[in-house]
Amino acid sequence: MPRPHLALVLAIAASIAVTLFSGSIDAYLLDVAMGVGINIILAVSLNLVNGHTGQFSLGHAGFMAVGAYLSSAVTLNLGPRLLGEDGGAAWSQGGLFALALVIGGLCAAFAGLLIGIPSLRLKGDYLALVTLGFGEIIRVIFQNVEALGGALGLIGMPAYTTFAWTYGCVALTIFTVGCLVNSTYGCGFRATHDDEIAAESVGLDTTRYKIVAFVIGAFFAGIAGGLFAHFKLTIDPRGFDFTRSIEIVVMVILGGMGNTVGVILAAILLTILPEALRQVSEYRMIIYSLLLISLMMLRPNGLFNFKFGSRRP
Amino acid sequence: MTARTSSSGELLRLNQVTLRFGGLTAVNAIDLSLHRGELVGLIGPNGAGKTTVFNLITGVYQPSEGFVSFAGRSLAGLRVNTIAGRGIGRTFQNIRLFGGLSVHDNVRVACNLHRTASPLQGLIRLGHFRRDEAAIRKRTDELLEIFNLRRFRDAPAKSLPYGEQRRLEIVRALATQPQLLLLDEPAAGMNPSEKVDLVRLIQQIHQQFDLTILLVEHSMKVVMGVCQRIIVLDYGIKIAEGTPAEVQKDPKVIEAYLGEDHGTSRAHH
Repeated sequence: MPRPHLALVLAIAASIAVTLFSGSIDAYLLDVAMGVGINIILAVSLNLVNGHTGQFSLGHAGFMAVGAYLSSAVTLNLGPRLLGEDGGAAWSQGGLFALALVIGGLCAAFAGLLIGIPSLRLKGDYLALVTLGFGEIIRVIFQNVEALGGALGLIGMPAYTTFAWTYGCVALTIFTVGCLVNSTYGCGFRATHDDEIAAESVGLDTTRYKIVAFVIGAFFAGIAGGLFAHFKLTIDPRGFDFTRSIEIVVMVILGGMGNTVGVILAAILLTILPEALRQVSEYRMIIYSLLLISLMMLRPNGLFNFKFGSRRP
Repeated sequence: MTARTSSSGELLRLNQVTLRFGGLTAVNAIDLSLHRGELVGLIGPNGAGKTTVFNLITGVYQPSEGFVSFAGRSLAGLRVNTIAGRGIGRTFQNIRLFGGLSVHDNVRVACNLHRTASPLQGLIRLGHFRRDEAAIRKRTDELLEIFNLRRFRDAPAKSLPYGEQRRLEIVRALATQPQLLLLDEPAAGMNPSEKVDLVRLIQQIHQQFDLTILLVEHSMKVVMGVCQRIIVLDYGIKIAEGTPAEVQKDPKVIEAYLGEDHGTSRAHH
């Protein structure tokens, strides 16, 4: 078995093992760990768009919302019909959840395609603003569709998201994005980032690369949304506003654009930090913000970018 | 122009190509024809429209009038990447490498045109995909070896010395396996000994890769030494065409090109 595959299988096996012993793990710790996992998926997938391909998207929470709502719609509507009143066997619940996650991811990817085609003609600040706008439009749509709970959101999703599901998806996301970026095809993402004109001159369709990155990023954001919905068991449109998008962007920037390991570490740090600061709850957001500002000032190329020093001539 | 019988060997043709930017005519009714295997120079004073001609051939600009055809097919309306796929490789006047990518990846990414495995197969990573990737890596390493860039393999492209960056850009263009290579002032910023090496390099790739080359150059020494035929532009118009010896004697060329040179040297004194 090739090395990346081996790592993937081991990671999934490890997360299943942790789940088996989850009874003896502190429930609060488990909660934080799942939040971390969901944020890792979001950050790694956004890193493909913002970091590797260099297209500044501010709409990631919108795609997460699509995944959260659509997967919840699947489990809430199909669940009772397929599994019966008693909730069905564990394996059939798992199958339903997998189906819900995939449908959520695919719908998010489709939304990414619809939004990506018109907006990826724009660059830099303009693209950021357009994706921000689209992200908000998605949120407002969910807010006004009564069938999806309107402003109150959806409640009563089954608690399907376990440690194994979360970290299984984390492993799959890192594996997929990693394989993609390291392949000859994937070099094109970074080439598009570095110099579009040169990339076209060697035959790369840069528009297509941008759209592919956007769609794959949206797919995994949708998966993260599905996990989130079946973890919190209640979702409402306010949970997916642009501050959520900015949180994810901050993880990518802090981790060092395009640096997968750094982005994962940043996602872990920025999820744990607010939890760790609960003791000083009144000053929590102030300290959090100050830490962010100082990190950005001290490590502008990313907190975990260790190549920074040697790159200087 | 000689008889039509030779047109079977014709690779590139510009027919009455004109490009206007508003009121400015950058390129005016240019006819140009390249035959397979030729090494032709395109020279002219600053602002004569040489790079614009390159941009017209590669699809960066679309001609206002006239047409460009390559290997017998029109290039009208095609996008830059499609034209690259048809077999036209180029370098840029101001080097445009993928600075953040390694030297190896700069060349590897240009092999995408000849990749046979789909990116989706990359997720399964078995059989066909691995063979394809291995073949591309091997080809890339061979190219780097030929051009003596192997020792920089994993360094970021932007960390290379200037001359090596120029060379890497040529290697990257060659990795797309072009039939026609457009070199835009490859000698710019080079010292005399580097220029001698460059001339040798151009001759080497011309023979080894069975290429047709169109060379834009400012340095007369480079052009006269290496080209079989020279085309001279001035103010967007073709003013002369012929062997280096013919062009050097052409009074119009002396006036436009060398005359300007006399002018500047006078100003210096």
